[in-house]
Amino acid sequence: MATREVISTGNELAAIAAVDAGCKFFGGYPLTPSSEVMHVISDLLPKKGGVAIQMEDEIAGICCVIGAAMAGDRALTATSGPGVSLKAENLGLAQMAEVPLVLVNVMRGGPSTGLPTRVSQGDVLQAKNPSHGDYKSITLAAGSLAECYTETVRAFNLADRFMQPVIVLLDETIGHMHGKAVIPTVEEVEAGIVPRKSFDGPAEEYFPYECGPTEPAVLNQMFTGYRYHFTGLHHDKNGFPTEEIETCRKLIQRLEDKVAMHEDELESYEEFMMDDADVMLVAYGSVSLAAKETIRNLRAEGIKAGLFRPITLWPSPAKKMKEYTDKIKNVLVVELNIGQYHSEVQRATARLDIDGLFKVNGRAISPQEIASKVKELY
Amino acid sequence: MSDSKVLMRFTGVGGQGVLLAGEIFAAAKIKTGGEGLKTATYTSQVRGGPTVVDIQLDDEEIYYPYAVDGDVDFMLSVAQMSYVLFKDGVKPGGTIVVDPNLVHPTAEDRKKWRIHEIPIITIAKEEVGNVITQSVVALAIANTMMNAIDKKVLVDTMLSKVPAKVHEVNIKAYDLGEEYAKKAMA
Repeated sequence: MATREVISTGNELAAIAAVDAGCKFFGGYPLTPSSEVMHVISDLLPKKGGVAIQMEDEIAGICCVIGAAMAGDRALTATSGPGVSLKAENLGLAQMAEVPLVLVNVMRGGPSTGLPTRVSQGDVLQAKNPSHGDYKSITLAAGSLAECYTETVRAFNLADRFMQPVIVLLDETIGHMHGKAVIPTVEEVEAGIVPRKSFDGPAEEYFPYECGPTEPAVLNQMFTGYRYHFTGLHHDKNGFPTEEIETCRKLIQRLEDKVAMHEDELESYEEFMMDDADVMLVAYGSVSLAAKETIRNLRAEGIKAGLFRPITLWPSPAKKMKEYTDKIKNVLVVELNIGQYHSEVQRATARLDIDGLFKVNGRAISPQEIASKVKELY
Repeated sequence: MSDSKVLMRFTGVGGQGVLLAGEIFAAAKIKTGGEGLKTATYTSQVRGGPTVVDIQLDDEEIYYPYAVDGDVDFMLSVAQMSYVLFKDGVKPGGTIVVDPNLVHPTAEDRKKWRIHEIPIITIAKEEVGNVITQSVVALAIANTMMNAIDKKVLVDTMLSKVPAKVHEVNIKAYDLGEEYAKKAMA
């Protein structure tokens, strides 16, 4: 793969990635620690014929993104946890109506306004279910500067493939850290773009929500002669509201199955020094950087530790985690919340003896803290 | 921690411009083929809250993005509250530079660390003639004392990040910082 070296921050890389991936619209409202995504893309998009708009609030921010996506463009919004709370209702609308969009959430301390400038991973469960009802979230977590770029690009491709919102989780540390990243060239990114499906038959035969039981809707670009109805209500093949029993059941089951039956297309994780590991750390996002440093130090002392790092958090790489935890007794989940992913690791591995190291004071977990915990436990 | 690693910490209060100095260091190290990383922590106060910028320079890949407390080789501080909050991150025998008009180390501190007093803000304001250049004065002091990066690479990187019309004033700030650092170490 052709690559280039850049010196940048995670937030800036997410914005650049969006533009390189063909995003033509940004709508949002600035919120620490995500604001730089908006700053940067506001500069870049107009130069590429796109539009970036600061709306009156977070809710309007995602509403206009839904509109842009329905018009056929790749569209982005960026915020932090409190902003996701406000956008939640419309994330649900985009799930129900099957509108592809990307939301970058740079996590800070919560709940509520919490710790605006401090790091946290407290939005992991929020990302799984931001809105009420049944649907299956797709959430990616960047674990390096380069991944702030590559995961944002992947999010756009997945949004168009699965016709739903895709959340990219950054955290304050990774969003603001400034250093070197080796990322794909623009040509590589452009070559990997698969446009969303469209229907090109006669307009009277166009039924956007009439699709296979594990397939997403086919929403043609607006203003091209193809008409459909758009609603958050349960709807039929045309998009019109219905309470017909089987139609309602099939719709919600399809929202689940269009993701659940294609998890192989979504699965992504990193195995770091796992080959001979007898202590398995599970961490994601910026915490995985502390975990890697810990592993380097522990191995120098003769402790064989390794890291399993989920990159796609939802759906989780459950099978792969279980494969490892069936072999490795000592498993420690490290995260900046009180066990939000720990519970998923327990579920996925069917083991209640998975250990956890959690921190929620807005400060990073240091390699020393992880090493002490490993030595205390094992 | 690898032997080649240099850990520096700039501390002040929000709005003093210490972030840029960190970015310049990281970028200059990367230009020389090494690894450089800058992270900052700050409060939700826009101005006046304690701010700390960690700068890691290494020949090996850097994983953990913050300087580990107790490992910091060099700290520069231009605010008393930040000094008190972050001084214990500096390893015993490490170097600390303070602006004596703003930071007052205790007698005990002076035994524990090599403390130099350089009136960074006064130099920027009165000798350079522009208070904004304090981050470049600080950059020069840090690099002169730590001998971290080839001066030309660092100055060129710095100039690439500021508008052309202020190149001259920033070069002057760098030279003054270097001169004061050499005097302090003599």
